[in-house]
Amino acid sequence: MAGNQGFVVSRETAWCPGCGNFGIVRALAKALNELGLKPSEVLYVSGIGQAGKLPHYISGNVLNTLHGRTLPTATGAKLANGDLTVIAIGGDGDGYAEGGNHFLHAIRKNVNITYIVHDNQVFGLTKGQASPRSDQGMVTATTPTGVYNEPFNPLATAITLNAGFVARSYAGDQEHLARTLQAAIQHEGFALVDVLQPCVTFNRINTYQYFRERVYDLDQEEGYDRTDRQAAWARSWEWGERIPIGIFYQIQRPTLADNYGEILTTPLVKQELSPGIVEELLREFQIG
Amino acid sequence: MQTLNIKIGGQAGQGLVSVGTILLRAATKEGWHLFAHQDYESRIRGGHNFFQIRLADGPVASWENDIDVLVALDETTITRELEEVRPGGVVIYDPDVLGSEAKKLVEQPNCIGLPFARVAEELGQPKIMANAAAAGAVWALLSEEITVLHETLALLFGDKGDKIVSGNQQVASAGFQRVRNIVGAKPRPEKPRYPGPRLVLKGNDALPLGALAAGVKFMSAYPMTPSTGVTEFIAQYGAEAKVVMEQAEDEISAINMTIGASFAGVRAMTATSGGGFALMTEALSLAGSAEIPVVVVNAMRPGPSTGLPTRTEQGDLRYAVAMSFGDFPRAVLAPGDVEEAFYLMAHAFNLAEEYQMPVVVLSDQHLADSYVTVPPFDLSRIEIRRGRVVSGAKAGPDYLRYRYIKDGISQRLYPGFGEGLVVSAGDEHGEDGHLIEDAETRRKMMEKRMAKQRLVEENALGPVLCGAEDPEIMLIGFGSTKGAIAEAVEILNSRGLRAQGVHLPQVFPLPKSLEQFLQQPAQKFIVESNYSGQLEDLIAARFAVRPTGSIRRYDGRPMNAKYILDRLPGGECHGR
Repeated sequence: MAGNQGFVVSRETAWCPGCGNFGIVRALAKALNELGLKPSEVLYVSGIGQAGKLPHYISGNVLNTLHGRTLPTATGAKLANGDLTVIAIGGDGDGYAEGGNHFLHAIRKNVNITYIVHDNQVFGLTKGQASPRSDQGMVTATTPTGVYNEPFNPLATAITLNAGFVARSYAGDQEHLARTLQAAIQHEGFALVDVLQPCVTFNRINTYQYFRERVYDLDQEEGYDRTDRQAAWARSWEWGERIPIGIFYQIQRPTLADNYGEILTTPLVKQELSPGIVEELLREFQIG
Repeated sequence: MQTLNIKIGGQAGQGLVSVGTILLRAATKEGWHLFAHQDYESRIRGGHNFFQIRLADGPVASWENDIDVLVALDETTITRELEEVRPGGVVIYDPDVLGSEAKKLVEQPNCIGLPFARVAEELGQPKIMANAAAAGAVWALLSEEITVLHETLALLFGDKGDKIVSGNQQVASAGFQRVRNIVGAKPRPEKPRYPGPRLVLKGNDALPLGALAAGVKFMSAYPMTPSTGVTEFIAQYGAEAKVVMEQAEDEISAINMTIGASFAGVRAMTATSGGGFALMTEALSLAGSAEIPVVVVNAMRPGPSTGLPTRTEQGDLRYAVAMSFGDFPRAVLAPGDVEEAFYLMAHAFNLAEEYQMPVVVLSDQHLADSYVTVPPFDLSRIEIRRGRVVSGAKAGPDYLRYRYIKDGISQRLYPGFGEGLVVSAGDEHGEDGHLIEDAETRRKMMEKRMAKQRLVEENALGPVLCGAEDPEIMLIGFGSTKGAIAEAVEILNSRGLRAQGVHLPQVFPLPKSLEQFLQQPAQKFIVESNYSGQLEDLIAARFAVRPTGSIRRYDGRPMNAKYILDRLPGGECHGR
């Protein structure tokens, strides 16, 4: 993964054969290559879980952090160096359970990063327990009588919080996923891409076949207005016979960096340290 | 040393901090040395708070129990604090706020009634200027002239316009005159002369100033008393230095944002208190594993749990040293006063970056909120050392973030600053930062990281000594007890004993040089503000030495010389 000429996907991974993650990493490499970025200009920040390993299998800079803490870490890195393309990567357990609070507030902050969530509706790395995205009734080792909790709806939540870019894609559709990721990376502000990612080992309900029969592309639907928040919100609840993928909602609003104005005109990391300010400040405390 | 203690008591929201701030600035200008501490409750209105200023003709670093001037803005101050006034002391109270019981208590010749708010109103000024009346009244006991107080009011209220300045000055003059008419030209404490300029500031000013002097560029924090002052300071003044201060949704987010920013290549910090520090500990372990520099201020308050949110204790020492799960290098600093707070804060960033590890700066409410006069800081003493960093051609495609090296300190590369890629992980990793599972790499990587801990220990800050060089009695402490210990040592020496104070500005790793002091034949007492003797345990674990005795305080109130002396052999509380 050392080369800086284009994004390459590693052959060796710790994922199960047939895992939906392979589709995601390949689509990501495709999107980044098409955008003409160099690996040294890209930083992946990931959490823990099968999704959190993705950055190790594609060229670029990597900060593989703790379970659930992907978004604050990515926010700090982006604020420190706005020149980096920062891509946060996690799973539905990582991002919607452990990191749920960060998810809400990263959207509010509208930091200019892309957030890819590998949504397999189950905990993979810990061997198949229920996640906040598990369908009700799903029997797992920790929910022997079936999942009782209402599933978390990340898209509806993001739209409610007025996230600037809210999309869903599917790991089984390379073209759609690469296109969606590209649009997300190009979006100025927080961009959520929730990716339906079949877990071939632990989720026997939400399989490739399950999604193949159900997904349809919102981007191709005539008359769908992705700037219409109410429509996007209504569509985000469609989950059953038909499951929409595509960009649900996209608007422009000022990003966190815009809020800092002149402080961030030059990325923090490229600014000279200015300890001289202290001399001036100390005068406020000086007497005599 | 000549000292004079002024205690201003009242309810939260009554403006006693304003009275205190006016007086401490004016007194400094007049030439006094001073130490001022604050005692307040976890509420915004009501309750009983005080602001206590100790004036002296020489440097002071701690407080005294006996009060020379008590200013009562409310009734509780009279009922609760009157007995602390020493014989000959003066009480200035507001008769308009006293009930009949309290009124009886102040029927003494040394008690002066002055209706602060009414004084302002009679002059056609708003009630809020009662504070100036109180300040003027106290000033009549300190100075022949009101000039310096007027100048101070002009400086403090200058940005609010001439009308506010002149109103405050008028009300202050009235307070001054009323007291002057009563006490007349009584002999006042001899006016000290402090040559040259000096600073008057508190720990929560010195810590962020030190961070700014060190070139901090990023801070993220979640408000928590008593650390909030640090956060607000950086938020308020950071913009001028182009510092980003981002308030987080919780402490977990704050520390992880800080880690992200530091990884990207800027000096980054966070500040919190015990409960918030607890939430940060998982991320500290990440910083340890991924070798990401990070500076955390933990301003201690009494635990467990929410404890006494606005009071002081040193009960997080053991926890700060343990820091998190797993073995990784770290350092814990414990400044004892505002000067150390300033210089050690800057030092913390060097330590964090040179050894690529987390550094905790332990403050506490007493240090955070106490003002002291000090000589101007020497900025030439601040050196910025960013450790081993490569960029450009030296960071080519063969760059390895965790390259094995004998002293354990691999070269950092800020992502994007070279063709090389930076791969970091909290999972165990190889030299290239990618995940590993094999035993050999794990062993080598653990040894690489922990090699840094040895260096941190070798370069640990030594103890700061005061008093006798060949002591028969030693008082050992860390953090904000420094001033109390120094004063206790001075008093013991004045009584003909050979006493020495040993203050530890670095509590982890403890400096090896401490051992030679512990081997002295003197009686050793470890002084600390916690129940279980956390410093004592730390010293015992490292040097297998137990002291002769322990002096501990865990009632949420700050240590002072009297507290220590009372508990030494022969002291009135000894053995209790």
